[in-house]
Amino acid sequence: MEITKKDVELAAKLSKMRVSEAETALYEEQLKALFKWVDELAAVDTENVRLTNVNLSAHMRPDTAVTNPALAQTLRDAFPDAQGDSAKVKKVL
Amino acid sequence: MTIDQIISAINSGAKTAEQITRESLDKIAEVNPSINALVEVFEQDALAQAKAVDAKKARGEKLGPLAGVPVAIKDNMLYKGHKATCCSKMLENYVSSYTATVVDKLIAADAVIIGRANMDEFAMGSTNQHSIYGPAKNPVDTTRVPGGSSGGSAAAVAAGMVPLALGTDTGGSVRQPAGFCGIVGIKPGYGRISRYGIIAFASSADQVGVLATNVRDAATALEVLAGKDVHDSTSLEAPVPAYAQEFTQDLKGVKVGLPNGFLDGLNEEIKARVEKAAEQLKARGAELIPVDVPHAKYAAPCYYIITSAEASSNLARYDGIRYGHSDRQATDLNTCYEGSRAPFGIEVKKRIIIGSYALTSERYEACFLKAMKVREKIREDFKKVFEKVDVLLTPTSPTTALKIGQKDDNPLSMYLADLYTCQGNIGGLAGISVPFGKDKQGLPIGVQFYGPILKEEKILNAAYHLEQSI
Repeated sequence: MEITKKDVELAAKLSKMRVSEAETALYEEQLKALFKWVDELAAVDTENVRLTNVNLSAHMRPDTAVTNPALAQTLRDAFPDAQGDSAKVKKVL
Repeated sequence: MTIDQIISAINSGAKTAEQITRESLDKIAEVNPSINALVEVFEQDALAQAKAVDAKKARGEKLGPLAGVPVAIKDNMLYKGHKATCCSKMLENYVSSYTATVVDKLIAADAVIIGRANMDEFAMGSTNQHSIYGPAKNPVDTTRVPGGSSGGSAAAVAAGMVPLALGTDTGGSVRQPAGFCGIVGIKPGYGRISRYGIIAFASSADQVGVLATNVRDAATALEVLAGKDVHDSTSLEAPVPAYAQEFTQDLKGVKVGLPNGFLDGLNEEIKARVEKAAEQLKARGAELIPVDVPHAKYAAPCYYIITSAEASSNLARYDGIRYGHSDRQATDLNTCYEGSRAPFGIEVKKRIIIGSYALTSERYEACFLKAMKVREKIREDFKKVFEKVDVLLTPTSPTTALKIGQKDDNPLSMYLADLYTCQGNIGGLAGISVPFGKDKQGLPIGVQFYGPILKEEKILNAAYHLEQSI
């Protein structure tokens, strides 16, 4: 696949990163070489491949609500500005 | 001193843990300025730990399996109250708020945490040249790189500063520097060691590994570190063998696979050493069996797509809001994000861009999904191979240690440096690099054994026999 300057700029924008003109030119050149190499993967027949390497049962649990009134009260008490179930924090920006 | 020698010396009373630690600190003071392997030395804490070990012995209490052993930890491992920067400007002032399980296990085993080791920024690189602390040097030849990304860990062990260091290995970052520096480096199979408290690069490939001067020491350390951890859901529930007790008298009955085509086009000196290694294994009773791993040649492009995609996601957390560098001059959210992410180095930015690009809706199927599917084919290949053989023998790297700055203009060549090692991460295998001779310039050559997941004792045993044959 052909990589252009616009592709690099788009990926940088999506990544919330500023890249200079010089960096863009460098990355464009390097990504061209890399993705030309990635094109070789197209030669592999993956028609019937299923992604099975992740054993979800080992890492997932049923999505059930957990309530802990005592912990909730502790957290509310930790915030002097709490109003009901809401807590006021310092502004981020 | 090796770990075995330190433990014997402390147990017999020939030396105290404090003496061992002071010797390590003296060596660091002598050679680290020219090697730059350690970026911070925890002198006071290390001495306090050593004195605590001596006090424990004086009370007649049983000492842990790494009692008094000085250990360097890679700068991406959390140790409460100490900096962990990933050798990045992004985290240059970050102080760990808790301790990684591996570091906790070392301390519980009575080891002494001596300092944090240099690395490529966020573990991305294979030369240790991408570090805010400057490059680490190879102790064998200081004009050359020690490899990477755990270059500081490898250099610290090779220079005799410590007998043991921890690294992480996402595409070969423990085994390749071990090979370049002439020491042993093992990356166990995915899930063998907890990653709780390790700063993430690519979660489906990252593993903690061990660097030591010899195979027995690596086995001793692995036994301490391995095992299920409730804090890491990817760690595996399985008994941990006493690896150092698993070495056999010979290799009779052991089947060593030689992957067809793996040595084609390889540097002649390295090729000759791998062939010599095969001969030595045969002389010790192993059966050599040629095997096919037809999709292994695609491991490197798969590795760069998958790990970069995961890195783009993992490193999204460095947004200046929660932790890390923050642009306080920004007046809106996007400017804050962009300003806060500016300190990322050139290699890290590149990997994030590669990953973000591979995950765009336009490229997702052809790049990311395709690479994931090819990875399945590679895993299937290895699974079939390990039904026939116990271990595979391969080179560790296609070259010996490069000159500092060499090949920097050709990133694809640098990526190919991971060719043999990244197969282990893509395949989820256990891998070990063991030094086996030198090239004409006197630079160490490493050879590698691969084994299936949870069978680290097999590769340790093969490496042990090869080490004994030198």
